[in-house]
Amino acid sequence: MWIAIVVVVVILLIVVFLYNSLIGKKNQVTNVFGTIDALLKKRYDLLPKLIATVKAYMKHERELLEEITQMRAKAVSGRLSDDDKVELDNIVTKALGGIMVAVENYPDLKANQNFLQLQRAMNEVEEQISAARRAYNAVVTDYNNAVEMFPTNVVASTMRYKLKKVFEISQEQREDVDAEKLFKS
Amino acid sequence: MKTLEDLRDFYNTTLLAELKVLERQRRNVVRKFQYVGIVLLCIAAVVVLLLWHSLAKQPMLIIIPIIICAMIGGVICRFISRGYVTEFKAVVIRRIIHFINEDLNYSQQDYIPKSTFILSKIFSTKPNRYKGDDLVSGRIGATRIKFSEVHAEHESGSGKNRRRYTIFKGLFFIGDFNKDFAGQTVVLPDTAEKLFGRIGQKLQSLNIFRGNLIKLEDPEFERAFAVYGDDQIEARYILSTSLMKRIVDFKKKTNRKIFLSFIGSMVFVAVSYTKNIFEPRIFRTLLDFAPIREYFEDLQLALGIVDDLNLNTRIWSKR
Repeated sequence: MWIAIVVVVVILLIVVFLYNSLIGKKNQVTNVFGTIDALLKKRYDLLPKLIATVKAYMKHERELLEEITQMRAKAVSGRLSDDDKVELDNIVTKALGGIMVAVENYPDLKANQNFLQLQRAMNEVEEQISAARRAYNAVVTDYNNAVEMFPTNVVASTMRYKLKKVFEISQEQREDVDAEKLFKS
Repeated sequence: MKTLEDLRDFYNTTLLAELKVLERQRRNVVRKFQYVGIVLLCIAAVVVLLLWHSLAKQPMLIIIPIIICAMIGGVICRFISRGYVTEFKAVVIRRIIHFINEDLNYSQQDYIPKSTFILSKIFSTKPNRYKGDDLVSGRIGATRIKFSEVHAEHESGSGKNRRRYTIFKGLFFIGDFNKDFAGQTVVLPDTAEKLFGRIGQKLQSLNIFRGNLIKLEDPEFERAFAVYGDDQIEARYILSTSLMKRIVDFKKKTNRKIFLSFIGSMVFVAVSYTKNIFEPRIFRTLLDFAPIREYFEDLQLALGIVDDLNLNTRIWSKR
């Protein structure tokens, strides 16, 4: 009789432990995603200043700047799902890359103190975002391992936990570097 | 960056003349050492002869006068060589440092203070015996740096139970990091994971004194180091993929145990040595390129940290 009770209690404790560890992992994913969100917002806050500074110099990139302004408006409107946020962020990153390349054509702009400072701030946020993405991938991998590996997978399936996606470089960004094209020209 | 060829030129054109003067001084010291040795040996012999009768019963006691003489000899020799060591450092070490970079300051007696050593959080045991010397400080490009030799020990118990062990001995470096951050990140040589693999990783994560274990993506870096920190995003902000690679390369280059920490926008690097760094060898001739090269390489290793960790790249808000 006693042995049966002990066995039941031990099994119960194990289940509670597994359950809690899964919840901990899931919350960590949410937490890190929250940080990415906050950092993206930080970058969106910098954008208007950057655009205002750059606009005065850039003549041929008006459209691109207009596009970024619109995307920013969409991003800060707050009506986006997590997946949409990530997608929009990828597009903004690419557009910003285009701007930074175009800067090379405007020596006056490159010497502008205000711009230099903004560029530093942008670099910093970019680096922080990339760090947060790496952290996100690490916690998601941890979570996914728990969802798939025995014995946590048993508990996870009863809790209906599903695998989460890690951040990947979008198709567009991958296509940016096309070795074939590089060697042809 | 100065190369070995540059050093050889510098050695032949500038250093050699001064080394010749020092070499005479060194020979003097060695001669005095020999006199002291002979005198003490004679004293020991006389004592042994005088006590011959009582020693015949317990021959093991013969060791005592020899040990006493050896100890006295040690003290005298240190006293004799003191002037030479100071002179040597003032000439050779200072010259080599200024040859590498003219703007650096060198101070023989000073060292990285104990408070800084503790502040770095690299070693969890607080030292209660602490010494060091050969402080080099200054600015390389945009980066302020400071390093010295340090020997930190912990002593416990008293009398027969007294135990002393070395927490760290080697080169201790502080530099101004190129990014601003608020948290604490410590990078330690990985011993658990190397031995036990996945179970080792579990053991590391149980290391409660250190904050959270942070698993990073670079497998080579992960095999060599364990990272602890209080903010995992900030730890990744500091340890960018390129910096991880740089740290692995630095470890390969030095082939020594290295410890790093990032606290208060500063980077602390501890490189473990078994020998005493920047000390002259009294029984070896000075007129030889090999020891000079060794001093040069040890200094380059410390000063090279700025380039190795890319500290002069200032593209972020911090200037």
